[in-house]
Amino acid sequence: MSTEQYASPTAAAAPNGVKRREFLKVLGVSTAATTMLGCTQEKVERLIPYLVSPDQTVPGVSNYYATTCRECSAGCGVIAETRDGRTIKLEGNPEHPVNRGALCARGQAALQGLYNPDRYRGPMARKNGQLQPVSWDEALQIFSQKLGETRSRGGAGNAVFINQHESGSFAGFLDAWLAAFGMPPHLSYDAAGDHAVIAANRQTYGVSWPRLDFRAARLVVSIGADFLDSWGAMVPQQLDFAEARADHENALRLIYVGPRRSLTGLNADQWIDCRPGSEMAIVQLLGGRTSAQAASQATGVSEAVLDAFAREFASTTPSIVIAGGGGADGLEVALAANALNSRGGAIKSNEGYLGFDRMASPAELRALATRMNTGGVSLLMVRGANPAFTLPKSVGFAEAMARVPFKVSFSSYPDETSELADLILPDHHSLEQWGDAEPIRGTISLQQPAMDPVFDTRATSDVLIAIAKKDPANAARYQVADYRTWLISRFPGGAATLNAALPRGFASGSLAEPPTARPVPAVHATAPIEQSSGNMYLVVYPHPFIGDGRGANKPWLQEIPDPVTKICWQTVAEMNPATAERMGLANGDLVTVRTAAGSLTLPVLRYPGIQRDTVAIGTGRGHTHAGRYAKAGLNPLEILPIGENRAGGVAFVSTKANVTKAGGYAQIVTTEGSARQHGRGIGQAIAIADLRAGRPGFDSGNAHASEIAQNGGPETPAGERPEAGAENGEEMPGDASHAFLPGLRSPVANDAEGEQGDPRSNDKGMYDPKHWSGMAKRRWAMTVDLARCTGCAACVSACYAENNIPTVGADWQVGKVLPDRTGFGANLLRSREMAWIRIERYYEGPGGEDGTANFDTRFVPMMCQHCGNAPCEPVCPVYATYHSPDGLNVQVYNRCVGTRYCSNNCPYKVRYFNWFGYGEPARPQYAFPEPLNWQLNPDVTVRGKGVMEKCSFCVQRIREAENRATLEKRALKPDEFTTACAASCPSRAIVFGDAADENWTVTQLAKDARAYHVFEELNTYTAVVYLKKVTHATPAGRA
Amino acid sequence: MPGFICIAVLATMLSAYSGASSSEGNSPVQPVKFRHTIHVDTLKMNCLYCHFAANKSFDPGLPAMSTCMGCHTVVQGTTDDNKAEIQKLAGFWKKSEPVPWIRIHKLPEYVHFPHMRHVNAGVTCQTCHGQIQTMKQVYQASSLNMGWCVNCHIGQSNPPFRARYDCSACHY
Repeated sequence: MSTEQYASPTAAAAPNGVKRREFLKVLGVSTAATTMLGCTQEKVERLIPYLVSPDQTVPGVSNYYATTCRECSAGCGVIAETRDGRTIKLEGNPEHPVNRGALCARGQAALQGLYNPDRYRGPMARKNGQLQPVSWDEALQIFSQKLGETRSRGGAGNAVFINQHESGSFAGFLDAWLAAFGMPPHLSYDAAGDHAVIAANRQTYGVSWPRLDFRAARLVVSIGADFLDSWGAMVPQQLDFAEARADHENALRLIYVGPRRSLTGLNADQWIDCRPGSEMAIVQLLGGRTSAQAASQATGVSEAVLDAFAREFASTTPSIVIAGGGGADGLEVALAANALNSRGGAIKSNEGYLGFDRMASPAELRALATRMNTGGVSLLMVRGANPAFTLPKSVGFAEAMARVPFKVSFSSYPDETSELADLILPDHHSLEQWGDAEPIRGTISLQQPAMDPVFDTRATSDVLIAIAKKDPANAARYQVADYRTWLISRFPGGAATLNAALPRGFASGSLAEPPTARPVPAVHATAPIEQSSGNMYLVVYPHPFIGDGRGANKPWLQEIPDPVTKICWQTVAEMNPATAERMGLANGDLVTVRTAAGSLTLPVLRYPGIQRDTVAIGTGRGHTHAGRYAKAGLNPLEILPIGENRAGGVAFVSTKANVTKAGGYAQIVTTEGSARQHGRGIGQAIAIADLRAGRPGFDSGNAHASEIAQNGGPETPAGERPEAGAENGEEMPGDASHAFLPGLRSPVANDAEGEQGDPRSNDKGMYDPKHWSGMAKRRWAMTVDLARCTGCAACVSACYAENNIPTVGADWQVGKVLPDRTGFGANLLRSREMAWIRIERYYEGPGGEDGTANFDTRFVPMMCQHCGNAPCEPVCPVYATYHSPDGLNVQVYNRCVGTRYCSNNCPYKVRYFNWFGYGEPARPQYAFPEPLNWQLNPDVTVRGKGVMEKCSFCVQRIREAENRATLEKRALKPDEFTTACAASCPSRAIVFGDAADENWTVTQLAKDARAYHVFEELNTYTAVVYLKKVTHATPAGRA
Repeated sequence: MPGFICIAVLATMLSAYSGASSSEGNSPVQPVKFRHTIHVDTLKMNCLYCHFAANKSFDPGLPAMSTCMGCHTVVQGTTDDNKAEIQKLAGFWKKSEPVPWIRIHKLPEYVHFPHMRHVNAGVTCQTCHGQIQTMKQVYQASSLNMGWCVNCHIGQSNPPFRARYDCSACHY
């Protein structure tokens, strides 16, 4: 049901022409009379029932549909939670063999694609030069007509269909349809595909993307292969990597080689900062075919480091070497790297990911652009791809499109390619349509609609069937009513098997492979990078969330800071701090980066993870026509000259650039406070050798660690100060961290267990687990394992989705009264970000500002710590925040008056204030323009202006689980449910549960030897326990 | 005196706009005069027959038009008044228009009230909604104020209930 609101008639205004005192009297009486007439000032709300109740739908109870995520080519399984006909949350499918319950940040943000406010509302056709809305009948009529014209002119052989690359039956279906109309097979295009690596893998292993068994390796060398950065099948890669690292005894060491330390590089134990284009020298060094001295000359890395590296590689087996194909010689490097993998069995080619087969390469699209320019394409159809933006501008795809007589786009969203089309037949979103995929051999992943279509769109598969039916020659071949029927008819085992498999989301079986292999393209070879001119090397890299640009109109992906640079809503030129210092460039100073293909002016960001002579720019931003959020930032593909590696992929690292100071300054839109911990001990680490020996270890990040280790914390009673030394048979010294039960109320609170509480208080006993109400039986707590966390920010995206968190960085969300900041990210410049959980990123170690490569990175997911002795609770003047008996720090939104004293007092700075009405539709800063508000979780209050909010440990999930258990007349099962962040994490770093119950996993983890609390010296008694990161700074076997 | 009246009036106005206002006694005229007296008292229908979600969900559930028409395609009514109302209902159904009921019981949006917990704990519908079976036209029988709710949760009702009473029970 839904509600509508109607205003009731109001009372008449006061009369004129009376004296002031009389006026006030009369006004007062008439208004009083009005209000006494029984609330006539209140709005009347309506309850609209269904005509017929949908089957198996209980209002207020969610339905869950298993489907397949299509945000990248991996093909993870998701469970779509749908409430009252609207999909509100995606979770990883726990049973799905590819992602096993995890879901990355982009997968979570798929909902912002489904409900994107800039989606095409319906079909459009170009009339008088403008795209105008038309009906489906008319649109299909136009398409049929154009198809007929093309064929009758003999141009069918020159029609081109570019489809988004996806595994599954649609590829074969599409080719069959094209063949029926005399058109050649389609180009299956994924701009994020790494073609050099795919080609090399096929040659070496026979599969496009083998599974990397990290558990079977002692050493992994990644040469620009960003397997934790949305490269390849990211979620299973991250799952496997985190599991391997969690086995500390046998954990692998990761060495990253490359000019830019990506997120994968920051997770590595060592970074070898070679010059761009010199990766081949590294591979040859590892293969013993060149000396460390020669490699040092080629790469610019010190000979001693390279020598040690080569020795370690030679002496460590099994090992994995993976290379990313970013350079001009990407294919050669990848082949050479693959050749080094003959020892050990860590490359599982029989368990590979099939989502990367049969991709068309950018070389083919460049060749297509040339054909279009010479009038060689009669009809262009594009679905789910945006080559006008995702190819370097120098390819000239957009200009070439103008030479095609008729262009059809099936895109759901406006983008640079669809805006050039003559006819738009918008496709359903992947969550609105049927489909299938085969992500790994032997598993068919099913895709089904999770809700009715949001707009007047149609599945392209159904459109093609409809068009075929209109064609007399083909109607007989397309007897099925729709694509779903067609899928069922082909499904191994038929309709019954499909229906049985649908709730699980996948089934055993295999889909027939399309017969054609992709032809080897003629590539536009690039000269070696040393031959280009410029004062610095230019590295263009794919942004981990926005990718090739497809995520740019999703505000979550724009606002979640990039885990490496902590930048949002902005494109920057990353430079090594020592280089920037030498050039007189501070953060934010504008530089002009000029190549043979063009120039960009953008602010500098000093990032220690960049090779000294390199400037790096991330892709994906700087759209011209992709919606209201996508306009932020700049597009580095505008300045990339045409250049491909020998496999046909774009050579993103192919040229030098001239980087000059442009004068002027732009503020860096970042959420980073400081890149260093300054001894605060927020992200702590322990070396593997110390962990094994049971020593506390030295950690440069925690100035207090050794002190606490020696003397205990400030509150440790004098007689209990621990003796130093594990040889005394005690636990690690300074174990104040887990001497108390996380989630426990502070000993000084009015707690039955604490004798220090006030005996006269009415709250006495409220926190007693034996209290008659049963409120205090549970103690919710969380552990975050920094040895597993890779900083991917999937947790952040999941939290945005679950908790109705507003994004604040859009350019209309600035203040109206005093607009001292304008543009995208303005609110973030004022630190007004709202993310309840954030990933803090700290560098440790001597490297960094002095230009050396030797620094360690700590990723710390930071959310409300639900302190047992919370500094925020006593200072609220209206008691809007308090400690619940079950261990949560609760924020009661309706009591909050917006003093912000709580945020002031919070040492973790995890409280966020609604400075504007982000949650109020009537206010200009509303963060959920229709239909983004359809995604809002009805179980979580949408906060208005002036209200403080923060992580609630997903209290709505806690209550939901408790309610369900009570309804089913049973107790909660251990690990029965978890928070949104923990559920999504592909590293399984976050564990949530009841610390008062031994059977929950969190209780065991909280007692781990690596456990500590952030700022425990402040006696906050946090319910969040962090487990120290384990560093592997030296090769195994050495001290 | 006028100053006092103005302040009193202002207070009344403010409380009328605030979420804490009580609509106790509110009894709007519904578009179709549905008689709980006939259905619940005379026919002894279970509340859950129509409000089917009350024992499963936060939401009590509003009966779909098809629930009404399940009987009323056949049952035409006995008195003239009843016959007229049923014809009104049938009119809506024929036009495929749902009946736009006026909402009576509404809690503010920052309160999460789980019907099913209460129903399954043995709280009868009449405890909060009053003697619905005697209402020819439904009115709000209780204030639904927070104090009224908390009273029961802290064990002050008769018979006393045991329920969580800290803020996070409902406010999250």
